[in-house]
Amino acid sequence: MLLLPVLLLVFYAFTNSGNGLISFRFTLQHFAKFFTDPDFVSVLGRSLGIAVKTTILCVLLGYPVAYFIAGSDERTRNVLVLAITLPMWINMLVRTYAWIGILSKGGFVSKIIGLFGKPDVEILYTEAAVLIGMVYNFLPFMILEINTSLCKMDRALLEAGNDLGANAVQRFTRITLPLSIPGVVSGISLVFLPAVSSFFIPKLLGGAQYFLIGNIIENQFITVGEWNFGSAISMIMALIMMGSMYLVRRFEKVVSGGKEDRR
Amino acid sequence: MEEKRPLIQFKNIVMVFEDGQVVLKGIDLDIMENEFVTLLGPSGCGKTTLLRILGGFLEPSEGKVIFDGEDMAKLPPYKRELNTVFQKYALFPHLNVYENIAFGLRIKKMSNDVIEQKVMKMLKLIGLEGYEKKNVTLMSGGQQQRVAIARALVNEPKVLLLDEPLGALDLKLRKEMQYELKRIQQEVGITFIYVTHDQEEALTMSDKIVVMKEGLIQQIGTPADIYNEPVNRYVADFIGESNILPGKMIKDGLVEIDDVQFPCLDEGFAPNEPVDVMFRPEDLEIVSPEKGTITGTVESVIFKGMHYEVIVETVPGTTVTVRMRVIKNNEVTSEDGKEKISANDFFVDIEDVPDLDDKEIIARADAQAWDPQSDDFLSIAKVEYDLKQEEGEYPVTFTTASGLSIQKTISVVDQKYVKNPRANEGIMAFNFFKTVDEITESQALDTDLKTWANAQAWKLSDENEKVEVYVDYDFDPENIGVGTYKVTFSTAGRELKVRTAARQEEDEVIGTEVGLSIAPKEIHVMHKM
Repeated sequence: MLLLPVLLLVFYAFTNSGNGLISFRFTLQHFAKFFTDPDFVSVLGRSLGIAVKTTILCVLLGYPVAYFIAGSDERTRNVLVLAITLPMWINMLVRTYAWIGILSKGGFVSKIIGLFGKPDVEILYTEAAVLIGMVYNFLPFMILEINTSLCKMDRALLEAGNDLGANAVQRFTRITLPLSIPGVVSGISLVFLPAVSSFFIPKLLGGAQYFLIGNIIENQFITVGEWNFGSAISMIMALIMMGSMYLVRRFEKVVSGGKEDRR
Repeated sequence: MEEKRPLIQFKNIVMVFEDGQVVLKGIDLDIMENEFVTLLGPSGCGKTTLLRILGGFLEPSEGKVIFDGEDMAKLPPYKRELNTVFQKYALFPHLNVYENIAFGLRIKKMSNDVIEQKVMKMLKLIGLEGYEKKNVTLMSGGQQQRVAIARALVNEPKVLLLDEPLGALDLKLRKEMQYELKRIQQEVGITFIYVTHDQEEALTMSDKIVVMKEGLIQQIGTPADIYNEPVNRYVADFIGESNILPGKMIKDGLVEIDDVQFPCLDEGFAPNEPVDVMFRPEDLEIVSPEKGTITGTVESVIFKGMHYEVIVETVPGTTVTVRMRVIKNNEVTSEDGKEKISANDFFVDIEDVPDLDDKEIIARADAQAWDPQSDDFLSIAKVEYDLKQEEGEYPVTFTTASGLSIQKTISVVDQKYVKNPRANEGIMAFNFFKTVDEITESQALDTDLKTWANAQAWKLSDENEKVEVYVDYDFDPENIGVGTYKVTFSTAGRELKVRTAARQEEDEVIGTEVGLSIAPKEIHVMHKM
């Protein structure tokens, strides 16, 4: 049951002629179409680029926050985790709409920038706006994942580090950081994957000209009705994601001291 | 050992935690170079706190720690010339054995070849050569323990602190590690400060034992000192097995226990000073009754492998017998049959009358109300009584919310308790009423009988010091009928533990009269605490 929609997708991607299950032809033309059209390839590049930027920003912003949360006492920690989870109870679409108001001309952000003598700056419908929207939506996942891995760490390890002569910075780089890498990695998967394929954030905050791969897929299915081509693009995306996840896992093993006889 | 100079000096260390709990109440202690010192005491005595203060993880509320002549109050742990082996090892799970041991050296930025040399030397010392690439989380407790020791020792500290490091190991491994630790300490020749609650560990490994209790040092001495000359009953009781009896010091060299005078070597007490007298089980000798300084009856014999442990009762226990009246039925059913209520008559001591309130009366009468269909308990809404603090019988009525009631009698009596000044014990119990069902349904009859009869025993010298009560009866609880039965409550009396290598046939010796003798030098007299 879980695999049925996926199998159907694979079937569509490699076949032609409408959605009839009886009259079909095997073909690779959809894949060829995607890679030969420079427009599609550049959209793919842009999507990967913005997803990477989002992920990096989420790690850079999320780690200190998670570190602070993990370091506070239990009550404060619960309140902070709740504060981070709270916005996620509201529909993502609604929250993204709210950002339109904040980022548009004459909105909150442009007023603030206006105070510094640059009136009428419009951030909405730029890449920056898309980036802000994505970081805003996906940051909580990153924080929660890193926080969990930090909380799991045995405090005695830091005492041991202290005892063995490590100062605060050394204790962080040699003990805390490597032990929290698994959390960072799962945070990356939780941010990168939806960021690559997200379609309504670029649509709402990036404007009509700002197309990401998610938008193309959405278009193919909903507007154009080219299910076969849409499926092919989805499959290409899936493969790219698998590949990137593999790379991230490799990276994790190297950083957190993946020893030969580990596991 | 006299030539050594103090390496660490604790000066009047006081530790008060944030919640106001006083954990250390003024500790003065000198620790020499190359000593194996054990801080020994039950959990909560402050031994771990003292170690953590030395390690720099806690700051004392008062007092000073002098290390090698310098006050180390403001020195953070990473600047102290000592290392710790933590209770649960705290090995770094992301590093292998080699890197765990090398951790401290890498911090010191030593070159790779020096690090390798030192780590390899440590692996050899702890007997884990060839394990350097192993994942520490997959090693056994004993191996992890060794890695933790190596990780600390590789930094060449002047002092190694060990916080109950063997607690998580099984008995056999623990014994092995005790010798191993002693060997390592002698080989590296530095001071080990070892925290444990295990007296046997302390006796096996230490040069010096510090016995602690409730934040205070009770005694400091070599294992032999502590074992043979404990300063008070606390230390005597904590270290090894012992018989400790209250006594009176008649004059130098003569102590009286239970009206019997024993010559001893102790002196320096005030005439007729009350004292605690200790002798070890292995120092008592079983002889014929005529030859013994004291006599008693053999209570039990336990074979312990290397020896027999014989319990001899030298002063009989104290007993009190009460009557248990067993009745058929004590319940009342409501007219519609939807409710039942039950309760028992009970006796109460005249002195306890002021303590009786509704709750206490319900408990003593064992009053219950329930729905016979569903077996759900109902609450008793009202308890009516008119009690005076005079001997006599007083009616009491228990009523449920719907008005079903039962009347019972409270008998106020002036209960005599049994005093036994020789054994320093008093015991008392009350007659009581029960139904057949209550007795046959009891899960733990001995405990229930004690509760029903409100049986208690205590030391005459201190009413708050309770004495264990034993129960004896001659009815068959499975097939008991209506009637009156005797229940006897008793204390164990004065029992002495004797350890002997001579073969003891259980069937032959139990119940026989024997004499016990002890050499004057084996008697140890202590001041009262």
